[in-house]
Amino acid sequence: MNSHENLMSPEYKEAIKDLLLQLADDDFMYSYRGSEWLGLAPHIEADIASSSISQDSMGHAAMYYKLLEDLGVGEANELAHCRVANERKNSILTERVNGEGYYMDTPQYDWAYAVVRSYFYTQAKKIKIDSLCESSYRPVAEAAVKVRMELYYHRLHWETWFKQLMNSTEVAKKKMNDAITLVMDDFGDVFSYGNQKQAIETNRLIGTEEELKENWKESITPVFLALQMTVPFIPEKPIKNGRNGEHTKDLDEALITLSEVYNLDPVAVW
Amino acid sequence: MTSLLITAEEQEEQLAHFMQRIEAEDKIEADDWMPEEYRQTLIKLISMHGMSEIMGALPEKEWVPKAPTLNRKLGIMAKVQDEMGHGQLLLRVTEDLLLPYGKNRGDLMQDLFNGDLKFHNVFHMETKTWADAGVIGWLVDGAAIITQTNMLKASYGPYARALQRICAEEVFHAQHGESIIMALAEGTNEQRAMVQESLNRWWEPLLMFFGPASKETTGSSKQDLTIKYKIRTKTNEEFRQLFFDKYIPRILSLGLTIPDPTLNYDAESNLWSYKQPDWNEFKKIIKNQGPRSQERLNLRRHSYEYNSWVREALSATVR
Amino acid sequence: MAEENFYQEFEIFSKRTPSSTFQYQFSLLAPNEDMAFVLAQENFMRREPVADIWIVNRKNIRKMSSEEKMSLGRLENKDYRTTKGYGYLKKKWRKYEQELLDEKEILSWGGERK
Repeated sequence: MNSHENLMSPEYKEAIKDLLLQLADDDFMYSYRGSEWLGLAPHIEADIASSSISQDSMGHAAMYYKLLEDLGVGEANELAHCRVANERKNSILTERVNGEGYYMDTPQYDWAYAVVRSYFYTQAKKIKIDSLCESSYRPVAEAAVKVRMELYYHRLHWETWFKQLMNSTEVAKKKMNDAITLVMDDFGDVFSYGNQKQAIETNRLIGTEEELKENWKESITPVFLALQMTVPFIPEKPIKNGRNGEHTKDLDEALITLSEVYNLDPVAVW
Repeated sequence: MTSLLITAEEQEEQLAHFMQRIEAEDKIEADDWMPEEYRQTLIKLISMHGMSEIMGALPEKEWVPKAPTLNRKLGIMAKVQDEMGHGQLLLRVTEDLLLPYGKNRGDLMQDLFNGDLKFHNVFHMETKTWADAGVIGWLVDGAAIITQTNMLKASYGPYARALQRICAEEVFHAQHGESIIMALAEGTNEQRAMVQESLNRWWEPLLMFFGPASKETTGSSKQDLTIKYKIRTKTNEEFRQLFFDKYIPRILSLGLTIPDPTLNYDAESNLWSYKQPDWNEFKKIIKNQGPRSQERLNLRRHSYEYNSWVREALSATVR
Repeated sequence: MAEENFYQEFEIFSKRTPSSTFQYQFSLLAPNEDMAFVLAQENFMRREPVADIWIVNRKNIRKMSSEEKMSLGRLENKDYRTTKGYGYLKKKWRKYEQELLDEKEILSWGGERK
């Protein structure tokens, strides 16, 4: 038990645990979807660069799982591989498949969806990380300072792709706009804290949902203005709220794959 | 490029000068004059090497989402990324050699899809278990290290420099593979059985990897030309023997069995004798008739074409 | 082919630390400078520290032909340009009980006064 834990009320501990699971599961699933793209991007050089972002994101997830481990919630690998879907707190956006088809067959992964999801997600992550740097929970604030360092590149990378494709052919614009619709349909729980909203916000673990949504809109407005587009609307009520363990079948399928080897023998050393 | 108006005598002089540079271990650069045979040998060798990296990413990639721990997921992502990176370096070297023919990356991809450009036999094989991810890293990369380090001093400068970068990363790959294998070999009975089963399947493809000992075996071999032009110094069989030297003791030390009861080391000749792999099978595999050849080519072709709009879109913005 | 222009050749240079010089890394294909820029670091400097990156479209590099490379040769009779041509001074100074101010000594003057 460290000093933090001694001073924590059960309510505070519950709130920090929930928030950390949201952060960890988001980056874990985002990275997982990115890792399915490996070898299949439309350009070799782009394949290599985007893989670094998936790796960084998995690294961030590992940091959050470690913080949960320190809180006695469970071992990091177990948290990542063993929890069933309704215990997962990631947003719906991060669990969505990259396109039709299983990665082991011949999937139809859509680069427009990859760019839009990644750009909007990274921008949202940046807003959260900036706020987390001021968190009342010191360990997460310290982790956020580290994560922030790598987000500069992630944003630059995806923003470049976003702007360039939006500024190119009609075909590309159509695909990008379709992707924006898909991504925004799933954006309702990205800034949600689910049932723990009140505890997370009043304990100042991170800024309020409303505040962060506003910051996100503000941060992407210049890019959208330059492209002569209207800033997309974040749905008020998500159809499913991943923060409360509500998920799609995409997550069920992903969990079977990502834990396939681990589950052969969860107590073995791999 | 050289002028077309050149006498036979001048041509001979050019060639003699070129061979002098090769003999003197000078480095040939992309823009230098080179005989057609040299250029063609390099293109064939390096494009195949490059595409093998690009195709080689696919079997390992199958285990990226399934890797059993956070650290393994990270390690194998970085490893497959490096394979794509090696492909990038080698394709760039090839593309510069192709400039006189007006061919580019897109043409190389088409050559791969048409079956004109081959890739290494090992990457046509199926993967079945997590142990395969370990065996590929440990032994397939080990085999690749043996051939690649032999070409670090290749007469063609751009290839030698690409190999410098590649070999530096291969050290990480080998250890990444060793680490997976070590955990399994020291693990449960099921885990140990998993490595042994994987080794049994990969042993023959590993022997094939170095190519036939002479062209009599399969009807063609480019080893003579690559030696003539000082691109490499060792023969296919010398590579295979070196592989045995380095890896057989390590495999045995982990308590694994090599699936060849005839395998024997003769101290006098300093040679390993072994059961020849099925070279007819090898010929079939490299003609894209291996167990997973068509599926992997199809995946590569489909992903390349399905998102071709991206390249078209950004191509259109170039002024 | 409609993709033809996508494959522009860019040469990538980078600095390891703020105080080091730029070094050539490798070349990559990209449709434009900005894209080349976001691809450069992760393609060639995934493991080493990077302090700065330069990107040049190969079109803008003036290269030497093999004939022009002939102009790089020179005789090795230029000791007068280097300290080698003044090696005898060491002995001379000894006569005056002084040490020769060699490269090591002179370059050390940038530090603290001893």
